[in-house]
Amino acid sequence: MSVIQTENLTKIFRVPQKDAGVRGAVKALFQPRYKDVTAVDGVTFSVEKGEVVGYIGLNGAGKSTTIKMLTGILVPSSGQVRVLGRDPHRERVANARQIGVVFGQRTQLWWDLALIESLNTIAKIYEMDPQRYDQLLEQFVDLLDLKDLLKVPVRNMSLGQKMRAELAATLIHEPEVVYLDEPTIGLDLIVKERMRAFIKQQNRETGTTVVLTTHDLGDIEELCQRVIIIDEGKLIYDGPLSAIKERFGKYRQITFEMARDLDGVDLPAGAEIVTQDGRSLVLRFDRTQTTASRVAAAVMEQFNVVDFSLAEPDLSMIVKQIYQGALHPEAV
Amino acid sequence: MAVLRRTARAYGAMMAMVPKLFMAYQIWVWMQFIVQIISLVILVSFWSAVYAGESSLSGLTLAQTLNYIILAQIFAPSTDTNMVFELGYMVRSGQIGMRLIQPLDLQLALYVQKVSEIALAFVFNLPLALIGWLLFRYHVPADPLVWLAFLVSLLIGNALLFCFDWILACASFYSTEVWGMGMLRYGVALFFSGALVPLAMMPGWLRTISTILPFSQALYTPVSLLSGITPLSGMPRIWLAQLAALVALGALSRFTFSRAVRQVTVQGG
Repeated sequence: MSVIQTENLTKIFRVPQKDAGVRGAVKALFQPRYKDVTAVDGVTFSVEKGEVVGYIGLNGAGKSTTIKMLTGILVPSSGQVRVLGRDPHRERVANARQIGVVFGQRTQLWWDLALIESLNTIAKIYEMDPQRYDQLLEQFVDLLDLKDLLKVPVRNMSLGQKMRAELAATLIHEPEVVYLDEPTIGLDLIVKERMRAFIKQQNRETGTTVVLTTHDLGDIEELCQRVIIIDEGKLIYDGPLSAIKERFGKYRQITFEMARDLDGVDLPAGAEIVTQDGRSLVLRFDRTQTTASRVAAAVMEQFNVVDFSLAEPDLSMIVKQIYQGALHPEAV
Repeated sequence: MAVLRRTARAYGAMMAMVPKLFMAYQIWVWMQFIVQIISLVILVSFWSAVYAGESSLSGLTLAQTLNYIILAQIFAPSTDTNMVFELGYMVRSGQIGMRLIQPLDLQLALYVQKVSEIALAFVFNLPLALIGWLLFRYHVPADPLVWLAFLVSLLIGNALLFCFDWILACASFYSTEVWGMGMLRYGVALFFSGALVPLAMMPGWLRTISTILPFSQALYTPVSLLSGITPLSGMPRIWLAQLAALVALGALSRFTFSRAVRQVTVQGG
């Protein structure tokens, strides 16, 4: 049985509409207007035990809203959601006992107290066996380098220290499912590396299922075998990371800087314009149909090229193409 | 039994956080103490002036009134649940999401935290009680039964007021602008709880309103017993009324929350 199952999951928010100025404020007082905004639109997917799934999309795509429905914070407007066989909202407390959540921009730690106070309290509210807690605490302190932070109030920690503490608080009670909503936001490379290694180890050793939302594609490449891509609330891709890499990886990108503004360009078969802005031209080409030298030669024959560069496909380029509509039926 | 012990440990942990958090704001602790002393002196002076030339008002002597007022000031934190402001802030800031991912019943968790806060406030009011005694020599009953009856009435009264405030606070799930309602509740509670005026002095119709509203149950009802205004023999009837109100408000607050929490909107990040 799947650990997480959603079917036609939909969330519609009712957002107040207010005109600018005093008149608008008065009007809103007597005649409030609302607009329905569909944040998540008929999303269906399932996640198996032990999977690490990247749930990605642009800002406002509906990632966090989906996570909040999976955690039981939000109630779906329609559709079904089951986590470990439960309705997360109806059975919120039982669901909460078996999940862990990091919201990158919020904290579950007690801001004014030393970290150890928060961890001790979390162990109690999750009804942990004291011996097991001591054992895990020792392990987490070592893996996340928390020794010097245990007696420090959370408000006195740097962002990186706080996120390491947050991760420890999320996983200390050994949840079966972990939702990480932008856990590496704003962190430096070293902290990111440490956090990724920790998540990877927890998944490998305890079989914890992880759903990760992030804008950092390094997190995805490092941790996920599978990605779900959501755009304007709709699921547009669900499959192995390797499959989209293979599918879109056949494209390469060339950027040209011209001596004068462009008006039009003829390209060989298999090449197309990505962006054209003044003297800058970005092309992509299918390397099964043509070559970089052929494309470059064609452009150079028509224009005076000042500079050009060739980029190998990486995940960020692939995801950018997908966000720009490369998965829409007419684009395929 | 083991489940009960684990549950008590979980909610006990939430209670135990309160004094730690309270101590984090040491200056506030001292400020509060100074403000309470000033309030006590003002109230005693006010009532002494009201009684000038009168031996009794509404059947209460000056000594009885002062006794009541001082005790009411010591136990006044029983009416301060602050739920409208606190839940309102959680909903408005989105922090409610972090509370809803805890494996705890939110209403019960906040209730035990409130009980802990009130108990702590009583402890911090001990110097006030001592200074009040040194200055004004108020009387407290020597009979432990009266203290026990007072404690039972205080606990039930505070619990039913918490349920009432919880229902009001649930409005924050529908409108984030509940600050005004919180202020209104604070002002109404200050008057109708009996913190400033013994209910016995109010005209009949106002006393009826005060008795119907839950604020007096958390302060006037228990303190009137302690100060001798209500005899111990009257307590069983009062307890029954308090328990009935608690059951009704408890059920209504559970129902209201179960509906209101469906409205949670925590958008963005």
